Amino acid sequence: METKKLETGAAPQKLGEYLSRTREKAPMHAGHGAGGAQSVRKDDYRGHEIEIVTTYKILVDGKKIRAPLGVDAAGKVHCHSLPNYQTASAVDMVRALIDGFPEEFEPKPARRKSRPASRRKSRSAAKKGSKHEH
Amino acid sequence: MAVVRKKISQNADVRDQYIQSVQLLKKEASGRKTNEFGIPGAARSVSTYDLFVIWHVTAMMLETPPGNPAGRNSAHRGPVFAPWHRVMLMLFEQNLQRVLNDANFGLPYWDWAEDGDLPQQQQSAAAIWGADCMGGQGNPVTTGPFAFSQSDPSAFRVRISTNISGELRSVNRGLRRAFGVSADALPRTAHVTNALALSPYDSPDWDADTNSFRNRIEGWMNDDGVSATWLHNLVHVWVGGEMLLGSSPNDPVFFLNHCNIDRLWESWMTRNGRVYVPDMTADADLKGHRIDDPISSPLGRNATPREMLDVSAIYEYDALL
Ligand SMILES: [Cu+2]
Repeated sequence: METKKLETGAAPQKLGEYLSRTREKAPMHAGHGAGGAQSVRKDDYRGHEIEIVTTYKILVDGKKIRAPLGVDAAGKVHCHSLPNYQTASAVDMVRALIDGFPEEFEPKPARRKSRPASRRKSRSAAKKGSKHEH
Repeated sequence: MAVVRKKISQNADVRDQYIQSVQLLKKEASGRKTNEFGIPGAARSVSTYDLFVIWHVTAMMLETPPGNPAGRNSAHRGPVFAPWHRVMLMLFEQNLQRVLNDANFGLPYWDWAEDGDLPQQQQSAAAIWGADCMGGQGNPVTTGPFAFSQSDPSAFRVRISTNISGELRSVNRGLRRAFGVSADALPRTAHVTNALALSPYDSPDWDADTNSFRNRIEGWMNDDGVSATWLHNLVHVWVGGEMLLGSSPNDPVFFLNHCNIDRLWESWMTRNGRVYVPDMTADADLKGHRIDDPISSPLGRNATPREMLDVSAIYEYDALL
């Protein structure tokens, strides 16, 4: 690769253009849309066509979470919001998600309205607690 | 003339230049705003440094092919892992050179296996985490050049992250790290040696379940051929915080880790030759991973895995393995 081409391509303007163009035309994670994550595995065995469709519905504290979990041919679970992990079970992946995205599992701040003073206290205590558990 | 990439722990001048140039790129406006990348909320200026964060997340969301159950994307979980990150690092290094006004600057690497050979409890006290290098851990990090300060608007801040769905979001907070929380220890020299002994660069099914050099260094499989968090992945997970996410380039240590991975790839090529698989006879399902396919980058057709095999005119390492 020529140094000249590298220099031109490295200009922030070029990278910015490339990124906005790419994000515009690429349908970002198809299939993960409305809260569901779906994996379709296909195989042929003794002349039979196998198709396994896996959909995850995950609730944490009763609330549906929108994490794009997938399962590969070997049955390992992956999730591109935690791209450096692969787990043997979806439960392990959800545990990792709770560690990786602490804010998304904090109680809703809207509840603050009813008991403003005590709410504040318990929130910061909960935060400290989770930090230690880490 | 090729620049030389050096070990960060042995080159204080390079270390200081790295820190300085990262801070400069973080402050440099790229001319783009968040809304141009579909990031919700008020439109905010995006720094040149943060373009690299967006690039990484974008590459990860481009599934190759769309909807494949292996989770293979245009930069990870497949053969293009090593060449894609080589392109990313080369463009990043060009920008560091530009803001330093020093065409001889080479991106340093973190030889993490050296730290991995230390007893587990000493690993988080290694020199790389010193206040004169990358700083320590915390939520937020409070020591070193990337320490957070609520009252100081010029302090290092994470401005673009991903949510649980993997989508880009605007944030405004300090850098996060949590050493040894999601994984006990860093990879060791023996693990690196074992990876280098694997002769196929990659092999079918070209995914996270194959026992190849690429899959071993990317870190989906251990020395026993069993699924595990290993080498590159283990470094991400051991550092924790930002490094767990698709937006992991937010932590400047990301580039030091990948520079070391690139050094391992270069070391592997001194043993096996500048070779790559799959070639263009491979199935169209592998589009984006074959030797003459364009790599997802602003370089278009000029950057393919083949073009990335010999970059010795651009940079070299002070020491290979
Ligand atoms: Cu990556």
